[in-house]
Amino acid sequence: MRSAEGRGRTLDEAVDAALIELGETRRNVDVKVLREGTDETLVEVTVIDPAAASSVAAPSQAANGKAETVRNLLEGLLKHMGVRAQVMVRTGSDPLTLDVSGRDLGALIGWRGETLRALQSVTNVMVGKHLAEGERVIVDVERYRQRREHTVREIALRAARQVKMTGDAITLDAMQAFERRAIHLALEGDPDVTSSSIGEEPDRRVVVGPRKAASE
Amino acid sequence: MQGRSAAERIRKAIAVVNAVVDGAGDEEITPTEIAEAIRDCLELPETANVPNVRKFLGEALDATSDGMPADFVAMTLYAALGALQEGHLLN
Repeated sequence: MRSAEGRGRTLDEAVDAALIELGETRRNVDVKVLREGTDETLVEVTVIDPAAASSVAAPSQAANGKAETVRNLLEGLLKHMGVRAQVMVRTGSDPLTLDVSGRDLGALIGWRGETLRALQSVTNVMVGKHLAEGERVIVDVERYRQRREHTVREIALRAARQVKMTGDAITLDAMQAFERRAIHLALEGDPDVTSSSIGEEPDRRVVVGPRKAASE
Repeated sequence: MQGRSAAERIRKAIAVVNAVVDGAGDEEITPTEIAEAIRDCLELPETANVPNVRKFLGEALDATSDGMPADFVAMTLYAALGALQEGHLLN
């Protein structure tokens, strides 16, 4: 599988640098943020397996019938909204994840991802009858959720390092539920730190603290 | 200012519902808590002054008590938030 690293002042610049090196377009690649700082962002861009990608693109294949139905519904919704964008099913994703890409889609993400959340809620209501009970689809616009989850995981790991050094608990900024979940998952395997949430929505925050030994 | 507080309360209710949807990890939100957050919105007098806001909030409350999926409740609350913002833009 071909991949390349890209650097830039912003995430977009870093991804573009890697895409130029690979000679690929955004729709054919998977982006992993390796480092995101104030001055520089480093990403790893991997070309998606063409065989896997084509299996999603072929609507006639029964195995992908559900994904294709869901993709068509979201594409139709965006068309009615007057948004010109492409919808792709992320390969190998569980739950089913739909990637929306196009130009100037900031309005689809909205303030702190609010519009994206609303779009996801509407999509899940629309496609509900095509899904099994309890099954949901995730909607991502220009990999916003993926980028954000990666960023908060980095924050969690940094906080954990600091907690181990100082022994003091750290209270992070208020975050959305999916971000808090990403932090809890990032730290659940760490034997030295523990994470919990305090406060009320929408100001609920994660506290990262030292894990007390059972005997203490 | 009042419009902002109503919007904040609706956003709070949406955040509570989203915590259910995302399975936030260390918390369990009951339908009662969601219903309380929606009732908090309904108690604000200004929600009565803007068309459709109470209608959508009432639908969200009914959906919660009927055990409808959290996404449906969230969608209805987003509709209330949209109606509130639209109402303030028109006024």
